[in-house]
Amino acid sequence: MNDTGSCSVAHDACAVDGREAVSVDGGPALPPSQAQTSRVTRTALLGGAVAGAGALAAALPSLARSTQAASSDARILNFALRLERLKAAFYEKAVAEGALAGELRQLARVLGQHERRHVNLLLRRLGDEADAASEFDFGDATRDADRFARTAQALEEAAVAAYIGQGANLTRQSMVLFAQIASVEARHAAWIADVLGVDPAPNAADEAKTAEQVLAVLEKTGFERGS
Amino acid sequence: MSNMTLEDLDRDGVLQESIDALYGPTRAELLRSAVVGGGALLAALAVPPATGAEISRANDVRVFQYALNFEYLQATFYTETEQAGTVAAMNQPKAVWARTLGAHERAHVRIIKDVLGEAAGKKPFFDFQGNTETEERFTRTAVAMEDLTTALLTGVTPTLKSRPLVAAAFSLLTVEARHAAWARHLAGIVPVLGAVDAPKPVAEVDRIVASTRFISSLDPRTTAQGRPRFVG
Repeated sequence: MNDTGSCSVAHDACAVDGREAVSVDGGPALPPSQAQTSRVTRTALLGGAVAGAGALAAALPSLARSTQAASSDARILNFALRLERLKAAFYEKAVAEGALAGELRQLARVLGQHERRHVNLLLRRLGDEADAASEFDFGDATRDADRFARTAQALEEAAVAAYIGQGANLTRQSMVLFAQIASVEARHAAWIADVLGVDPAPNAADEAKTAEQVLAVLEKTGFERGS
Repeated sequence: MSNMTLEDLDRDGVLQESIDALYGPTRAELLRSAVVGGGALLAALAVPPATGAEISRANDVRVFQYALNFEYLQATFYTETEQAGTVAAMNQPKAVWARTLGAHERAHVRIIKDVLGEAAGKKPFFDFQGNTETEERFTRTAVAMEDLTTALLTGVTPTLKSRPLVAAAFSLLTVEARHAAWARHLAGIVPVLGAVDAPKPVAEVDRIVASTRFISSLDPRTTAQGRPRFVG
């Protein structure tokens, strides 16, 4: 699969049922104060579609038009698979290059194991609907400890936002898997952030990103080389 | 799921260590071998709705009422630790962590109360059994509490019928997971339990919370439907 082709697959995944479960602006999360945090996150949680005390009741009409299908599951799961394959290869390569020491090395090993497991879980769920894997070229990002850490942080944050953004569009069975993976990606993001001295939990509620926003992060890295 | 034990879920035993530390080995041994699942609420959550919004609404309200009690528990725990002066005595990174978690959990209380509207239960009364008074006991309890919240939300999120509420629950789930990882990192233990976060059924969460005796009274409206009460 070339870059353009896989891009459109994920774009479809983004518009699975024609509405955004959380129509949150995907800008960088940098809350300067607690007051602003709670304002931002309340908006994020209620998603614009639902607000105030009647929120739960207001949310209910969406049930009628949300019939999640296995076909849209496959698109979303393949989108997650693309992310997990990239991360698995990234950590594996970083460990192999030998530029990491101490906690960063431990982190790369542990996260690499987790991402490989995620790839396998997603492959099992997708069966013969799984997309082909890409080749990767990580350049200096796996040869330099500082670049490795910053890249890992960007990839983990993108993954967290991607799982949040797509989780609600899945069938229940796939959603169960997504919930169990999403929280692990969040743990990864917090771990690398704390190592870097960055706030590990910058918001009271994490923001979703659309598939386009997540793809923009991936494409900016230039790691994918097609299959 | 119904025949799994905590031991099955806790593959690398890290969670068991924190439970051992928190509850002592005797109760932890009981928890280890207790069969997970079978609770009335869990059964209710696992059954897909027949038709219509009423059943979905009842389910989602119960899940969020339960989550609200959990957020009350956490918010009060962090607030009391600050009020006791325990946070002020910590080093800078740890104090920042403790205050941030408190602010987040208080925000979660406000958010979930908004979502529930009139269905929101009152704040229970808590007794943290001295765990807010020393940094060591506070940290151990915080690690266990954040891991437990993550396991709870991992389990209940896919049971929510309203898609916007599913999305909201995902946004809270990942924050609780960040809290747990941050707490573990500061405590010097591996921030991640395994490649997936195992969900805990509500009935098991109930048992663990009851064993702490942190909740001394609870709004009766939120303990209906045959669910075991928190009160020890």
